[in-house]
Amino acid sequence: MRPISLARVISLGCAAMIAGAAFAADDGLTLPAGFSATVVQEGLGAGRHLDVAANGDIYLAGAKGLNAMRDTNGDGKADQVKAFGNVEGTEVRIFKDWLYVSDDVGVYRYPLKKGELAPSGARETVVSQFPQERQHADKTFALDPKGTLYVNVGAPSNSCQEKDRQEGSQGRSPCPLLEKYGGVWVFDGTKLNQTPANGRRFATGMRNAVAIEWNAGQNALFAVIHGRDSIDTLFPALYNAQDNATRQAEEFHQIVEGGNFGWPYTFFDTKLGHRVVAPEYGGDAKKVPEAGKYPDPLVAFPAHWAPNDLLFYSGKSFPAKYQDGAFIAFHGSWNRAPEPQAGYKVVFQPMKAGKPNGAYEVFVDGFAGDMPDNSPNNARYRPVGLAVGPDGSLYVADSQKGRIWRISYAKK
Amino acid sequence: MKMSRMRVSAALLCVATLAAIAAGVTAGDTQPASAPANSPASGQQLYGRHCLSCHQADGGGVPKMQPPIKGGTWVMGEPRALALFVMTGGFDSGARKDSDNGNVMPPFRQLPDADLAQILSFIRAKFGKDGTPVTAAQVAEARASLPQSQ
Repeated sequence: MRPISLARVISLGCAAMIAGAAFAADDGLTLPAGFSATVVQEGLGAGRHLDVAANGDIYLAGAKGLNAMRDTNGDGKADQVKAFGNVEGTEVRIFKDWLYVSDDVGVYRYPLKKGELAPSGARETVVSQFPQERQHADKTFALDPKGTLYVNVGAPSNSCQEKDRQEGSQGRSPCPLLEKYGGVWVFDGTKLNQTPANGRRFATGMRNAVAIEWNAGQNALFAVIHGRDSIDTLFPALYNAQDNATRQAEEFHQIVEGGNFGWPYTFFDTKLGHRVVAPEYGGDAKKVPEAGKYPDPLVAFPAHWAPNDLLFYSGKSFPAKYQDGAFIAFHGSWNRAPEPQAGYKVVFQPMKAGKPNGAYEVFVDGFAGDMPDNSPNNARYRPVGLAVGPDGSLYVADSQKGRIWRISYAKK
Repeated sequence: MKMSRMRVSAALLCVATLAAIAAGVTAGDTQPASAPANSPASGQQLYGRHCLSCHQADGGGVPKMQPPIKGGTWVMGEPRALALFVMTGGFDSGARKDSDNGNVMPPFRQLPDADLAQILSFIRAKFGKDGTPVTAAQVAEARASLPQSQ
């Protein structure tokens, strides 16, 4: 798969704008022609992922806990908002009659009873006792139709150096973190009170796959993985600031059982268009790892864009080209500085039979605003979560203020 | 179809950006050159090279990842304590226990006294409410107090 350079990304986005395919929408967001965004919720603070029930009720996870929302008068805005539960985390997914949620150390579920907005039933523990970590700690997950639970266990490290993020520190070999982190672990999602010991490592070599999703049409698991940081400050003799800002791909993969996706030993270099050995493991900015050991990504997205949610579109209201394609919420970079920050957008990757079908397109942009001082703190909004409503609308959650937008398509 | 003013501006910006890329000049394409000794700009340049990607241009850090330094106790406090903290990093710091930030600051002991002095002077002036400059001699004195193995 040919990587896409920054210039290509900009030119694609610009071509769309100049051709008149985008227009200013609510909040200054730009969308393709025919789409519009409306604000469903003004903001509940630091949103993360969200899901939408068959009746249109919205469930949002966030740093300040869980919220349920309902639009009772049909004006498109949530007019009932109820905080519930006691879980502060990232993931929330409706599965059958349950609302599954997670924090940094466990996965839990609440019963969803008919007519009830906020679950009144007691929280049940599906898996608990993941080690409490500070880095890449969110336990995002996906569920397949049988209830198999796929948990992203991010690595509490940038590149498994002996001293994390320290200039020149070598990589630990083999990386001991991979025994408990840096991959996907599977559990029976219908069983209660499990611990990590009840799980099985499904795939490894994944630094942090916050954006993890079951693709029902392909009966397969997919993820977009956060690539590594700081090749320039850790190995200044090999890489400069512009290299760091552009070369380490955010990798989109199908996650197969037994797969090894190369962290921390390698990363996919978008400048060279192939995987390279990481500098901590003897890489010289061009050395190629053992052939066939690690797969190339389906798509190599630009460095540091921070893929935080993935969704395969199965709704009926968007045009045909969106069917089975992937929407990805890119939270936006911090590690590109002093280069201009990037990401902060929702991208659409056309897909056919589980493979990319053409170049990705910027679907929603304009979240970050002017972002004074090039600082992520000053981004107006940062897209972080995606869901599809019963009418096929796409919902996007923001982490700066907890705002939620509903993106709908009107036939022209 | 009539283009809105916003779209025209955006399109012009795109053209300019693409032209810049075509010319091989990308925004911010500045691998900081070594600053002349005692140059007023050098503290800022060294901050850009070693500190900015985590603590950002405005000293605001990144939520839940790297802490802000602007107005913080380290830049507002004693130069010696600041020098020691930057040279030893956050791994064993007492402040680490109560922090909810994911990433730890590595030690910057590898930097020479003069460079550290310029960085510390810069962050004290910019983020520490006009803090006094730090001299290379102060950094050297702090360094001498560190265990050799560290």
